[in-house]
Formats: sequence, C-alpha cells, structure tokens
Amino acid sequence: MKGKVCCLGLVCALAVLGSVSVAGAYDVREVEGGGTISGRVSFEGTVPPSKQFQVKKDQEVCGTERSVHEVSVSDGWLKGAVVVLEGVTSGKQFVSAHSRGEEPGEGVFHYGEGTHLSLEILTKGCNFGPFTGVLAADEPVRFLNHDRVKHILHTVSSKDDKGLILRTVHNREIRPDTVVEETFTAGVLKMSHVVGVHCNRHDFMQSWLYVVTSPYYAISDREGGFTIDQVPPGQYELIAWHPALGLKRQTVTVSQGDRAEVTFAFSGK
Amino acid sequence: MLMMRYGKEHISWRRGIVILSVVIGLFTFGGEKTNAALLDGLMDWVEEPLAERIAKKGQRLTTGNFYTPERPDSHGPLGVMQDHTHNEGEFMMSFRYMRMNMDENRTGTMTQSLDSVLKQYQIAPEDMHMNMYMFSAMYGFNKTVTLMAMIPYAEKSMNHGTRMGGQFQTESGGFGDIKLSTLWRLWAIEAPSIGTHRFHLNIGVSLPTGDLQPSDGTPMGVSVLPYPMRLGSGTVDFLPGLTYTGQTSDYSWGLQALGTHRIGTNKYGYSLGNNYHVTGWSAYRWSNWISTSVRFNYGWWDDYSGRDNSLNPMMVPTADPLRRGGQRLDIMGGVNFLFPEWMGIENRIAVEGGVPIYQDLAGPQLETDYIVWAGFQFVK
Repeated sequence: MKGKVCCLGLVCALAVLGSVSVAGAYDVREVEGGGTISGRVSFEGTVPPSKQFQVKKDQEVCGTERSVHEVSVSDGWLKGAVVVLEGVTSGKQFVSAHSRGEEPGEGVFHYGEGTHLSLEILTKGCNFGPFTGVLAADEPVRFLNHDRVKHILHTVSSKDDKGLILRTVHNREIRPDTVVEETFTAGVLKMSHVVGVHCNRHDFMQSWLYVVTSPYYAISDREGGFTIDQVPPGQYELIAWHPALGLKRQTVTVSQGDRAEVTFAFSGK
Repeated sequence: MLMMRYGKEHISWRRGIVILSVVIGLFTFGGEKTNAALLDGLMDWVEEPLAERIAKKGQRLTTGNFYTPERPDSHGPLGVMQDHTHNEGEFMMSFRYMRMNMDENRTGTMTQSLDSVLKQYQIAPEDMHMNMYMFSAMYGFNKTVTLMAMIPYAEKSMNHGTRMGGQFQTESGGFGDIKLSTLWRLWAIEAPSIGTHRFHLNIGVSLPTGDLQPSDGTPMGVSVLPYPMRLGSGTVDFLPGLTYTGQTSDYSWGLQALGTHRIGTNKYGYSLGNNYHVTGWSAYRWSNWISTSVRFNYGWWDDYSGRDNSLNPMMVPTADPLRRGGQRLDIMGGVNFLFPEWMGIENRIAVEGGVPIYQDLAGPQLETDYIVWAGFQFVK
C-alpha cells in the first residue's frame, strides 16, 4: 500500500512540475508622457559571405540553389538586429506588423496587436520569413505552411550563453496548407532568450527569434535604424542582438517626452 | 497473509501496478516537463565539454533532434524492431515476413543425431519450419512517445521420428501474442563532425492472445502439441529495452537490447523462460535509395518454469520444460530500399537473412539453420 501511495505521489508531483510556468505577465496600460528610443546599428569589418545550399528535396517548389544571408549590411549599417528594452512589465500594447523574408523566399512573420505578440509564421517558397524576429514565451505560435510540400519544423533554444548547445524544442511535420500551433513555454526555454526555427527537410530554411516579454522591441531596418516609442520614463537596459554576431548591451535613460539616441556597433572578424 | 493467499498471482498483480505507475510517470514527465527527450537537461556533463570541443571546429551541438531523414538506412535492418521513433502525428504501417528453418538436434554446442535422441525419448523432432507474418503500426503520440502495436500470425510445422522407425508431421497456425509497446525518446546529440547519436527506451507488454493448446494428429491420436508448436506464452510479458542509433552522411549503426520478462504463470501451470536479445548493426548508404547492412544478433533464453501436465516430458524433448533454454549468435546481412515519395507517403522494402554462428542449447533441441526476413513499410 505504501508503495502504491509513493508511486501515485510521484506521478502527481511530476504532473504538477510539468504544468508550472515561470513567465512573468505583461500588463497593457496607457503610457502618459512616454519617451522614445531611436538609433542605428552599425557593422565594421568583413561581412561574412552568404551560405550557399544545393536544394536536394522539392526542387519544384524550393528551387535548385538557395542562399542564406546571415549578416546583411548596407553602407556599414546592419539590418535585422533585434533591439530589446529589458525589464518593462507594463506599458503600450503590441503593434501589428509584417516582416517578409529575403528573395526568393516569400515567408512572412506576422505580429498581432493587443495584449499579446500573437506571432504567425507564414511559410511560403520554402522560407519561414526573415532571418531574425521575436517570439513571446507561453503563448502559441501559429505555423502556416502555404507550400505544396511538407516541412519538418525543428525549433531549438540556445542552452548556454555562448550558443554552443542548441536544445530541440519542437520536432514535427507541417503538411501542405495546414496550420500547427506550438508554444514555447518558459519552463522549456528556461533561461534561453534565443529560439531557432529550422526545417529538417530543407536545411536552408533558418530563422532566429529573440524571446521578448513586452512590445518594447524593434528590428533594425536596411539602414540599421530602429525606433521604440511610448517608453515609460526610467532607466533601462537596452540590448541589441544578432544571431551571427552576438549581443551588445547598454544602459539608457528615458525622460518624459524625450528622445534618447543610441548606437550599437557590431564588428566582423 | 495476502502473499500466502494469492501466492504468485498476487506478486504478478503487484508487478503490474509498479510497471503501470512507471509508465504513467514517464508519460507525464515526457509530455510536460521536458523537451522531446526525457534526459534533456540531465546530460550537461557530457554536452558541455563536447560542445566546447565542437565549437573549435566552428560547429554547434544540437540536442534532442530525433528527426529521421528520408534515407534507406534511416530504419534499421528489417529484423530489428522498434529501432526508431516517430515525430508527433506521424504514422507507419509495416508488414514483415519471417521464415525460420530448424534442422537436426543439438545439445550444448554439439549436434546430436536423431538416433541418439531416440535412445532417450520415444519421439524426437527432426526439423521445424516457421513462417511468421507480422503486421505492425507505429504512431507518434507526442513529441516524446511513439506507440507501437504488432499482431503476429504464425504457421509452424514439425517433422518427428519415432523409436519404432516411423515419422509424422504436426502443424499449428494462428495469431500469436499481441505486442503493445511505447518508445521514449531519451537523448540525442548531433553535429556535423560527430554525426547523430540517439537513444530511446522501449517499454512494452505482450498480451496472451496466442493459442496455447493447438492440437494435431500424432501416432497416439489427436494430441495437444508440445511447447515449440504453441503460438503464445499465456502470460502478460513485460518487454523492456534500450536502443541506440547513430548516423553520419553515408554510414549508420545501432545497438539494441530487448528483453522479455514473464509475469506470473499461465493457466496451464507454466511460464516460458525470460529471454534477452542484444543486436548491433552497421549500414552503408550506397545511394539515396539503397543501403546494405550487416548485423550480429545475440540472444539467450531461459528454461520454462512449471510444466503443462498434459505433456509427458519423458516422451519427446519438446515437451520437457527444462530443455528449452539456450543462447545463439546470428550474423545477418540485409538490404533496404527507399522508393520516391508517392502522395506524401514514404515507401520502403527491405530484406534480411542470416545464419547462426554459435548455438548452445539445453538440448536436445532443434538447432536453427537460417532466418530470412522480407517486408515493406510505409510512413505517412
């Protein structure tokens, strides 16, 4: 009898552990007298060449050759760096946005508006979307496959700070014209801030997402520019991250109604 | 008190509860707490130094990826079962045919002539042929667990010689014991320079659905057939195992240990011996559609415990529960074919065959001559 009770207890304990979420909630409220952070992200040095891939499967949809531009630089300005204001627990609502992958890919990241990020990844032309984006923990991400071939979704989170170990989070099939929803729980992500989205059938399909907890983020444009508005006054840690170049951090102070100018500088080898 | 009242039956019930608790616990743990692999997060002591080493080559270590690429050797040789797991929602059907021929008697490692067996027994087996048709299905239940069910149908025939110089044949056939199994993704690592390495746990049960009392005509009239001609164990059997597979660009390999642990005694008063198999294989991919493999399979199995009182162990060695144990090492060669995907379905055909290179039997028992497998699989 004692043994049975122990077994039952073990099972219950595991079930409870499994359901625990450690994510902090973000509250949407009106921001009065918010400030703005804007700036540019630069790159110095030799730009790494794009990675070339011979397409082995589904050439009728994916083409015969594909390339991945991990580092995209124009006139010394870095595109695709994710800039995140850390530690904001309440403020403006999430804003709807679209972000499209580079040619010939037609994949799109769609971010919803309101109280949640509501990320949708619309896969098309054997492309998930742009090389970088953002993701929120503990809310479902919708993966839509608009291709007429199946993709094997393989998502990973970085297990260590150096990004040397990538832990598989999801490993599942997305059939043509279907939708699957997957949640990256805070429990599974643990301390990881980086998620990779790959296709196991098509190795050139790669995107990297930074885990955000609020709408206070931006992704640098072709000129390296970014803007984060409606920031409640205060002092924050601002980070700029790029999957191939790492993470830069600086402290920024936002005053009521003011604009804080910031620059980040990345360098190549 | 309970032990005295219910004896062995009570012990088997208690074992059943323990097994069920472990399975439920693993399901819960596997489905909620971790990533796909149960040992994810517990293998840092291996992963971290390995990742540091791999980083020097400009590579990253990926853990927990169990995706099996579509290549001919991504499934093991046909005679290996439960060698791979499936992604959530993925479904695989397979059919396997196995032919096993046994000829001549053996005691220990030495062949024994029919005449010498007939000096000990009135009847001796001469040869036996078995055709087994196995229908199985696998389904990716969630990101951690793959379910497997297998229904076998067997046809057996055995020729006998008698001390009086006569000969006769007996036959049996029908469905065997249904096997239900779960495959639990444990741990996987991969990087271009080290290939992929995956481990999964096999936990299953065999249900006593096979006929335990097949009968056929003998010189003594219609009789219940002895142990080797029966189609099931009559007991609920626990099937634990551990599987490791590895892969590089053109090579693949694997190592699997599977056991069958009998729980309790069947209604005829006996239980088959526990058995254990360790198999290791290596395969080479010649192209995108063909691979060949070589495999060693070592198995050992115990004598039966208890006995069926309707059998006379003094009459024929196949009726003696203490002449059932043994061990055998087989060498097998196989070919896997992968066909182009058709309507989203992955199709495979495979064959494998081999012979024993070592047999040590608690004889006299019939020794194995050869084993052949052929089958097809499709994955949706």
